[in-house]
Amino acid sequence: MARREEILKDIQTRFREDIVDFFDKSSKRVYIEIKPESIVRVAGYIFKELEARFNIASGVDARTHLEILYHFSLEDINLLISLRVKLDRENPEIDSLAPVFKGANWIEREIHELLGINFRGHPDLRRLLLAKEWPAGVYPLRADYREWDRNAIRDRGV
Amino acid sequence: MKLPKARELVEAVKALVKGPYTSKFPAKPHVPYSSFRGQPKYDPEKCVGCLACEQVCPAEAIGHRDETENGQPKRIIIHYTDTCIFCGTCEQACIADHQGIRLTNEWELSFFDRKKESFESIEKELQLCETCGAVIACKDHLKWIAERIGELSFSSPTLFYSHLKDLGVVDENIISALKDQGRSDRMKILCARCRRETTLTTK
Amino acid sequence: MARSVIPIGPWHPLQEEPEFFTLTVDGETVVDIDVSIGYNHRGIEKLSERKTFDQSTFVIERICGICSTSHPFAYTRAVEDIIPVEVPERAKYIRTIVAEGERVHSHLLWFGLAGHFLGYNTVYHWVWKLREEILDVLEILTGNRNNYAMFKPGGVRRDINADDIPLVVKKIDSIVPTLDRLKKAVLDDPVLHARLKGIGILTKEEAIDYCALGPTSRASGVAKDVRKDAPYGAYDRVDWDMIVTENGDVFDKVVVRILEVYESIKIMKTCLSKLPAGEIDLNIKDIPPGEGIGAHEAPRGETFHYVRSDGTNRPARHKVRAPTFMNLPSYRATVIGETISDATIILAAIDPCYCCTERMAVRDDRGRKILGGPDLVRLSQEKTKKLANKMGLQ
Repeated sequence: MARREEILKDIQTRFREDIVDFFDKSSKRVYIEIKPESIVRVAGYIFKELEARFNIASGVDARTHLEILYHFSLEDINLLISLRVKLDRENPEIDSLAPVFKGANWIEREIHELLGINFRGHPDLRRLLLAKEWPAGVYPLRADYREWDRNAIRDRGV
Repeated sequence: MKLPKARELVEAVKALVKGPYTSKFPAKPHVPYSSFRGQPKYDPEKCVGCLACEQVCPAEAIGHRDETENGQPKRIIIHYTDTCIFCGTCEQACIADHQGIRLTNEWELSFFDRKKESFESIEKELQLCETCGAVIACKDHLKWIAERIGELSFSSPTLFYSHLKDLGVVDENIISALKDQGRSDRMKILCARCRRETTLTTK
Repeated sequence: MARSVIPIGPWHPLQEEPEFFTLTVDGETVVDIDVSIGYNHRGIEKLSERKTFDQSTFVIERICGICSTSHPFAYTRAVEDIIPVEVPERAKYIRTIVAEGERVHSHLLWFGLAGHFLGYNTVYHWVWKLREEILDVLEILTGNRNNYAMFKPGGVRRDINADDIPLVVKKIDSIVPTLDRLKKAVLDDPVLHARLKGIGILTKEEAIDYCALGPTSRASGVAKDVRKDAPYGAYDRVDWDMIVTENGDVFDKVVVRILEVYESIKIMKTCLSKLPAGEIDLNIKDIPPGEGIGAHEAPRGETFHYVRSDGTNRPARHKVRAPTFMNLPSYRATVIGETISDATIILAAIDPCYCCTERMAVRDDRGRKILGGPDLVRLSQEKTKKLANKMGLQ
């Protein structure tokens, strides 16, 4: 318990200007919202200094803006820290974490093609999941996605 | 190295003695365990036609069709075998004590003609509104509700008429004696909209 | 030496799940690998937003056939984390029993396939015969050999009948002596030592950098397991060990998986004997707005689900992360520098959630096909025979 309080207080003082919101939901879950410019510094600190494990990043389309949550887990104190960044819908861009640790490479490719967020500095931002024939600029996971394939079969077969 | 070979020999000898591990299907039928989740089947006596199974089905494998044209209004509930995922949610959602639709042990479900054999259906009698002809619910469903709420069903003529008609207590003589213009519309089996209109207006 | 590109994948008539590797080889050594996935992308995250929380469990179950418990387990834990709430004790034990049964099934399946890739086809068939016992156990407990339909946010759907437990314990016990024999036969074999030791090494630093999970990272010395670090279900009420080895080669991955089967059997039997009485379901009616995260240690690593709810009865966002997603990029670290006859066993060593390595073709620079699908597996099996001959054992 003491170590958990130490770590959280340390993060709050060290990145005082970057943190927008700090939500301590329960003993196992903490949600920290930070400014998009500071993602590399904060994520790098959590991965290297605190030796947390990077779980995954979830891209979300909240209707008014786009969000990315980066989940890190600190196993020895059973804590999961989720860093939230809010991005503008018109031109969503953020620095890539792939140069910091290799585990972020594929998930940034996936978020880029499904939600349309640009990752500056990613070494290889090509398609991961969608087919070659998928039209560019159509992002399936967005809330305003409309199905474009007129030839898809949609009946029960009976 | 002779020693490992002796270990494998034990396994080989056991296999020789016991014979082949595979079963003789289809020469001998295969009977699954009693808890196996097989084909769901309706029980026309117990099912009340409430369509709760259709609402909860994750695969949308249950559908229905209401036929109101000819003199015998009925609801046909259809279960599509080829879409079903055999999860058992319909059985758990069934309001008739989980007996209206039950999962049997049948698993040999292949068929030849998709248009005729890939679904199973039952029919339930439908109750129509006596004023406007809209669909209210299946007759068994109204009786189920009336039985469950006991004396409270006397608050709604739809409910108590359905129940009493079924018990044979009420017949056309009593109803025709009350047939005049206006408020006697209250003493009919009505859909919700007509009931609101007859209660609140004087049409 | 001319460099040629070997495409492995993606269509093959004998294959269930497609994937595409492009190995660039220089003579016999692999110098580069590029992994393309996405042939099985079904849009499950988008589909989950159209179903209610309860119905979504069935869609999630069918993400993978072998990990059919892991995904619903993590998903229901995520939904319960939104509120947050704890399920009843009996539900925790039942969930643990089904999850460990699936782990035994999955590791035995992989063990057989590894035997097939190396040329030990007898091991393949004997282990898969053994696997039938655990599939029968799962059929008695849940009603189906796969896609168990047991999980629900708030508990489990069906109860375990006390009359079935003696038969189940008897079947589980019958696995152990045969497994002992097979384990000793395989682990003492000098040909297998020569084939598997020192091949496809993933060092501890690389495992941490790629964020690898499950037996893949535990074989490299990273001692992390969700069941021990963040206990849930009945895992903290039962005594069991986490298996960690140091070398990170394919042999260690085999050892980790086989020893985990013994631990799973121990957990299953303890839970069956200590099953408490009580409710199995909380009957959750409403999920308040919020976010939840759930994780479960699948046979291949940690499965991670993130669910966001906006107060209606459907998820607003559901993020699914299978463990193989984090393990696949680590191929760059393990395959480069090895020979093509070892490629099949190294690609299979992370236990990808599909038999990708059977889908292969070798072409030379002009595009003529030299080797076909099963030929690369045959290359691997022939190397075993050559080694055995050299050691004077055949």
